[in-house]
Amino acid sequence: MEYRSQRIAHWYFRIALVLFVLQVMMGLWLAYNYTFTVPQEIVDVFPFATARAIHTNLLVLWMLLGFMGGTYYIVPEETGSEVYSPNLAWLQLIALVATGVIAIIGFLFGWTKGRPLLEIPPPLNYVVVIGALIFLFNIGMTMFKAKRWTVIQGVLLGGLVFLALLYLFGIPFYKNEVIDWYYWWWVIHLWVEGAWELVTGAIMAFVLLKLTGVERRVVEKWLYVEIGLFLFTGIAGTGHHYYWIGAPKYWLWIGGVFSALEPLPILLMVIDTMHHVKHRQTQIINPHTWTLAVGCAIFHFIGAGIWGFAHTLPQINYYTHGSQVTVSHGHLAFFGAYALLNLTVFYFAIPKLKGIEVYQPTRAKLGFWTMCSAMMLMGLTFGIAGVLQSYLERVLGMGYMTAQGHMRLWMGITLVLGVFFLAGVVVTVFDLLFMKPAVRRAE
Amino acid sequence: MTKKAAFWIFLFGTLSSAALFLVLTWDMHRQVDVLSRADKLSDTVIAGKKSFEKHNCNDCHTILGFGGYYAPDLTRVVQRVGEDGVRYRIKHPELAFAASVRKMPQQHIPAAEIENLLAFFSWVGEIDNGDWPPQDSKKRLTRGEKRLVAMAGVSPGAAVFKSKGCMNCHALGGSGGSFGPALDTVGRTLSTEQIGQYIKEPKSVNPQALMPPQTDLTDRELEEVAKFLGNLK
Ligand code: HEC
Ligand code: HEC
Ligand code: HEM
Ligand code: HEM
Ligand SMILES: [Fe+2]
Repeated sequence: MEYRSQRIAHWYFRIALVLFVLQVMMGLWLAYNYTFTVPQEIVDVFPFATARAIHTNLLVLWMLLGFMGGTYYIVPEETGSEVYSPNLAWLQLIALVATGVIAIIGFLFGWTKGRPLLEIPPPLNYVVVIGALIFLFNIGMTMFKAKRWTVIQGVLLGGLVFLALLYLFGIPFYKNEVIDWYYWWWVIHLWVEGAWELVTGAIMAFVLLKLTGVERRVVEKWLYVEIGLFLFTGIAGTGHHYYWIGAPKYWLWIGGVFSALEPLPILLMVIDTMHHVKHRQTQIINPHTWTLAVGCAIFHFIGAGIWGFAHTLPQINYYTHGSQVTVSHGHLAFFGAYALLNLTVFYFAIPKLKGIEVYQPTRAKLGFWTMCSAMMLMGLTFGIAGVLQSYLERVLGMGYMTAQGHMRLWMGITLVLGVFFLAGVVVTVFDLLFMKPAVRRAE
Repeated sequence: MTKKAAFWIFLFGTLSSAALFLVLTWDMHRQVDVLSRADKLSDTVIAGKKSFEKHNCNDCHTILGFGGYYAPDLTRVVQRVGEDGVRYRIKHPELAFAASVRKMPQQHIPAAEIENLLAFFSWVGEIDNGDWPPQDSKKRLTRGEKRLVAMAGVSPGAAVFKSKGCMNCHALGGSGGSFGPALDTVGRTLSTEQIGQYIKEPKSVNPQALMPPQTDLTDRELEEVAKFLGNLK
């Protein structure tokens, strides 16, 4: 750690980690609902719908806190200056966490906007917007005052501004269900396949630059090409969600073609990560942080690239749309791309924030491999359930619940795997919160 | 490649895709009124949409394929279970799904609000959305019907059963819905005449019947399906 104000990041990380554990616990309850019959009395007070809203909103909240913390960590080093106002950073953290807590308590009492993934109701939306504005102002002012521009900073700021702007499209009430979903995807798709990818690209570039000591010029060149391809394929690729909503038919072409190209920039990211690691100029200090960075790139490609491609063409999507196939992809992609990215940043920054040069990697490795194998297997079991559903319900025309009966076994296995996944998460989070320096071997 | 060239790739890629996307968004707004029958978007439908959101139905049910995957898609629910079927399930989910392994919450929704929800579902069901979901596609049913009738050894009654929505509520040979009883052995308890009567007017046979009268069958179809079911023993 070189700058005092980087320390704020630590609290963003800590809170994000706690929320991560809660999110995954709620995921287990969802899988329980699929596997066993929950009695009517419980369904009446705590339905699946509420639990799902909590699971997904905690997910978004912890990841955004992670990104913001990461930004507060990176920007001082990139600009070579302290954060413009640490007090604003605190204020913003408190505002966002308070909003999240109120929103989740609200869900329990039925206070919701009722739009999947965007359940946070309007008055709280405005607090989120204010929090985001404070954040952008603080980061922007830090950069402007420092007057030392780098491509990494520019992409980071651009991605964050884009992210915040898109959020606005999810706030209004749309009378027409078709238009409603049209703009819902401006938030969901353009986030994960647009703005968040920019943030990811910038953060990964920063981490790789620091870890490998590869020349900045090279890292930044790759970054431009990657985000160019991400946005080229990702913006028009939004069309892969417009096939069956009542939008014009040309979306089948536009969405199909552009989104089929979306795996390319992700593949490029894998290649450039490997390339930088191979041509590193520095010595490996914490090998586990490297494992995380490479693991993130590869899992990102599997979950988003391969799994996304598998159901993105309209001929296939007609049968898999809105089935457990979607869930399989959602989990692998979110985990591979954004959970692992955040963990990479945490393992990169937290040792420095704690003044630990070399950390003890035993628990970290145990946690990482447990999470990755459990999630990969969960992706497969969700996927098998999804293929069964697509075939039985959509091709054979079986009733919804009859088809679900045949999928139940696989949802049950997912539940068991989920327990292992949670164990991996708990180990990782514990390790990050109470990190230990490596014990020196007797020389 | 130089950093400058990389920058131009970035700029060109982003701007071209964004320009295409914005133009098509404008065109979508031009066409959407026709595709979604916006002229039928009455205040009742909008009230129904609000009610649908207020009760967070969408985090269990998908609509147009989006939302939670825990419960049946509601895009064509009115076509699938009929208006009375929808009313009954929203009013009394604890009874309608008493025998099911999966429950829907009883949210005590007032009757007027249920009518709004129904209007909303009816409106959504008419959206021209590329004939999704496949399981409710009319095209596919008529194709299936033709194939079934053409196949030797399969009775026309079976074809009627499969194509006229009975399978949404009833299962045969393990496939079909679970709202009504499986009918694999219905011929043991009911005669062909009773079955015919049941289909036309369930309440005349069983005053507590929950099955809506199946009014879109022709007399011949009714006769065939009753004969087919009457023989299942
Ligand atoms: C906790 C999750 C949950 C919530 C919330 C929920 N439902 Fe359901 N709903 C279900 C399940 C599960 C079924 C199917 C049960 C079965 O068939 O055994 C169902 C079935 C239905 C059906 C019949 C569909 C068919 O094809 O047979 C309708 C209509 C329906 N729900 C409407 C609604 C409406 C309207 C709301 C909001 C007011 C709502 N549901 C909220 C779980 C839910
Ligand atoms: C909306 C759901 C629904 C649809 C559609 C439906 N039924 Fe039913 N049916 C039921 C229910 C529920 C019962 C159980 C008794 C009751 O409550 O009416 C039933 C009962 C029956 C029975 C009597 C079974 C017994 O053992 O008493 C027969 C026969 C029958 N249905 C035939 C049909 C046929 C043929 C069709 C298609 C033309 C059909 N049903 C469509 C819901 C439905
Ligand atoms: C890291 C990046 C990605 C993440 C986090 C992600 C996440 C998700 C999530 C959560 C959904 C479900 C949304 C919902 O309906 O509730 C979804 C849907 C979808 N994603 Fe991705 N995705 C990513 C990248 C991709 C890519 C690159 C492709 C294509 C190549 C893709 C193709 C799809 C398709 C086709 C659907 C729609 C599924 C359906 O019809 O139900 N995704 N994605
Ligand atoms: C124990 C681990 C987990 C289990 C058992 C689990 C289970 C579930 C279930 C059952 C659903 C509901 C799907 C539906 O509507 O039917 C869901 C939704 C979702 N979960 Fe998880 N989850 C877990 C962990 C995670 C993690 C770690 C992430 C992200 C990194 C995640 C991201 C999501 C997303 C994005 C959705 C919405 C999916 C969609 O709309 O397609 N979950 N989860
Ligand atoms: Fe997408």
